[in-house]
Amino acid sequence: MKQFIARRIGYSLLSLLLLSLTIFLFIRLTGDPASLLAEPGASAADIAAIQKKFGLDQPVWYQYIYFMGNLLRGDLGESFYYQTPVLELYLSRLPNSLLLASVAMSFSLLLGIPTGILAAVRVGRFWDTVGKFFALLGLSLPSFLVGLLLILFFSVYLEWLPSSGSGGFLNLLMPAFALGWYFAAAHMRLTRSSMLEVMGSEYIKLARLKGLPEFKVIAKHAFKNALIPVMTLAGINLINMINVAVVVETVFAWPGIGRLLYEGISFRDFPIVQGVVIIGGSMIVAVNLLVDIVYAFVDPRIRLEA
Amino acid sequence: MRASRGSGYVDRALRTRWAGAIVLAAAMAFGGMNTAAAQTKPEGEMRFAMYVTLAPAWFDPGESAVGVLTPFWVMYAMHDALVKPMPGQRSAPSLAESWTVSKDQRVYEFTLRSGLKFHNGDPFTADDVLFSFKRSKAALLHEKVKEVVAVDPIHVRFVMHEPWPDFMTFYGTLVSGAGWIVPKKYMEQVGPEGFKRHPVGLGPYKFVSNTPGVELVLEAFEGHWHKVPTVKRLVFKSIPEATTRLAMLMRDEVDVAYLLDASLAETVKRTPKLKLAFSGGIGTTYIDFLDMWDPKSPWADQRVRQAASLAIDRKAISEAETLGASPPNGNVVPPGFEFALKIPADPYDPARAKQLLAEAGYPNGFDAGDLYPWPPYFSTGEAVTGYLGAIGIKSRVRTMERAAFYAALATKKLKGLCVCVNAVYGNASSRLSETVPSDGVFAYGGFPDVDEMFRAQTVETDVGKRENLLHKLQQTLHDRFRFAPIYDYVWASGIGPRVEEPALMLIAPYPWAAPLEEVRLKRP
Repeated sequence: MKQFIARRIGYSLLSLLLLSLTIFLFIRLTGDPASLLAEPGASAADIAAIQKKFGLDQPVWYQYIYFMGNLLRGDLGESFYYQTPVLELYLSRLPNSLLLASVAMSFSLLLGIPTGILAAVRVGRFWDTVGKFFALLGLSLPSFLVGLLLILFFSVYLEWLPSSGSGGFLNLLMPAFALGWYFAAAHMRLTRSSMLEVMGSEYIKLARLKGLPEFKVIAKHAFKNALIPVMTLAGINLINMINVAVVVETVFAWPGIGRLLYEGISFRDFPIVQGVVIIGGSMIVAVNLLVDIVYAFVDPRIRLEA
Repeated sequence: MRASRGSGYVDRALRTRWAGAIVLAAAMAFGGMNTAAAQTKPEGEMRFAMYVTLAPAWFDPGESAVGVLTPFWVMYAMHDALVKPMPGQRSAPSLAESWTVSKDQRVYEFTLRSGLKFHNGDPFTADDVLFSFKRSKAALLHEKVKEVVAVDPIHVRFVMHEPWPDFMTFYGTLVSGAGWIVPKKYMEQVGPEGFKRHPVGLGPYKFVSNTPGVELVLEAFEGHWHKVPTVKRLVFKSIPEATTRLAMLMRDEVDVAYLLDASLAETVKRTPKLKLAFSGGIGTTYIDFLDMWDPKSPWADQRVRQAASLAIDRKAISEAETLGASPPNGNVVPPGFEFALKIPADPYDPARAKQLLAEAGYPNGFDAGDLYPWPPYFSTGEAVTGYLGAIGIKSRVRTMERAAFYAALATKKLKGLCVCVNAVYGNASSRLSETVPSDGVFAYGGFPDVDEMFRAQTVETDVGKRENLLHKLQQTLHDRFRFAPIYDYVWASGIGPRVEEPALMLIAPYPWAAPLEEVRLKRP
């Protein structure tokens, strides 16, 4: 078991190293941020001064080593645009993103799981079609469109909800719905397929043969087992909601991490983009590691196979 | 010669002050009124939805780059300058109550207002002026100015190496932030980083808080020398999505929603409680024929360039893009600029354009290659492509990301056409400096005689002669169809029902609310 955990930790660290290298190189492919920071018409000397100020005049390998050295000390660097430490910016936005992601996730689970169960137990019938339609809309409608439609309807016409920003519970409803719908659809689809798989298994047949009521078969025997992959996906999705709700946070002017990432990309603010991606990536790697370890504890075959 | 450009203002100010004193004395005698009661206390909060994200660098005038207007958005609120554009005045005395110019035009001496204090209580002195100037990024000013001397606490002298007629354009307008003052003592205490976290200035509003990327909150500074603001708090919110800005305005969550495109502006027009306001005029949209310097290119022929200009329906583009608010211009210099030559825009005459093309040897038109629109005005580029296509000049719109475009344009890597924007502040000379002389940062070529005219006017100290030179230069550019100017870009903003005065276009051309002490909310 110890060997299994050590190996998993090794893989995780390797993943993070590759992630840091990838984002570091890819963001630099977008071009030189000095030309954006200097504005049009800036002289070559102005641009060179900006490059020097932010260490962009150094060779890329040197910049990477410097970046990794700082990263190991917990320093994500300073934003070019805001001239503020990235970690400070990230932490200032984190509570907003956590709040939005929690509500959006609750919404997506409350809507996605029951709809998925209903679609699975009524497969091929009316409620299954309704569920599929719901999933189709959720996955295919772009969130900026959903966001703008919500603003138009609930804020401008009905005047029930504030159009944007943070501050109160009412501010949270529309962005949480816009963000959660996509994930609700994804959770619904996974719940449905997982339930269908479980419902066809031998132990469910046995439960039915024993004469258990259908509700009990579904709720006690099928649902619990079908839920495992859904909850695993939900964990990863929660991290995505926290870190990459770029469009929803921009449309609703929600001051979260997604909007910070948008700003970082817009201004070619390398430290912001690197910082957000690495923190988000670390969260996903950590969750996966945890899940792997828990699985290995629960099911010995996993660690033996590994 | 002591030709004080500010003396008229001072005389008027003195007369006004005397008249005010008499009225006040009478009021006190008859009604027991006192000065505190006469001054309206700042009240209420005015919220602006901005389309940009405020950079802390804009809080420090020392970080302001030459030719970049955006920092003045907040500098007009938190800071003040010796001399700056104000309503009806290109260079109005502000922290300097007057200035003189020596006979040989090498020495400028400013008399500062005495008794002024920064937001933190530090006194404003000549040392602050020297300190701020030294920190400025205006390289040309540093090159031209030999020395700056604090004669005494309220007198500052600038000495040039040689006469430089554009000194006040660079120091006293929005070409640079060199004349905008920061407190020396405070800046030395907290350093530039600390200053950006809590800026202190002499402007009508003082800093309260900044949440990076979210909002900036300011509060009225009741010790402002010019005018105590009537609005207590200003909040600048960064809302990148235009539809969201409009929704916020409709919900009264903000009072001013900047930059709405034509379709959103129509919505404002249809909403009875809202008002539509137009501002801008600083950026001129024009076609630059990048290939015209290549003798093999069809654009080398002046008739072809004229044909392109005649093919454009400027009014229709203005209508589609800005509800007709952007006035067509025949010059890349806005008509209100010093030394500007007013040239009417070319008419829309596709028949004549086709005839000119035929005369030039292109009766069936030609393939002009790529057309690069200035980001983010891609729809204007598409409209121009359509009009050129209608007379047989085929072009393909190539959109580029902002930074990539600037870099490619400045390194002369683009080929074909550019639907460019010139938004350089100042006068006709500064306006043309980047695109007209052969060595201009965005110039892909130049005419030797125009280069010589341009050089001559930069050292001409006689205002009349300089104006003649610059007028001749602008006329020459027009006659040779060096550019095909389209219009001076003016855009729509939505104004909410609580606003009495949004202070838009009080300073023209300047796109945002200024001076901010003039913004007013309706009072019950």
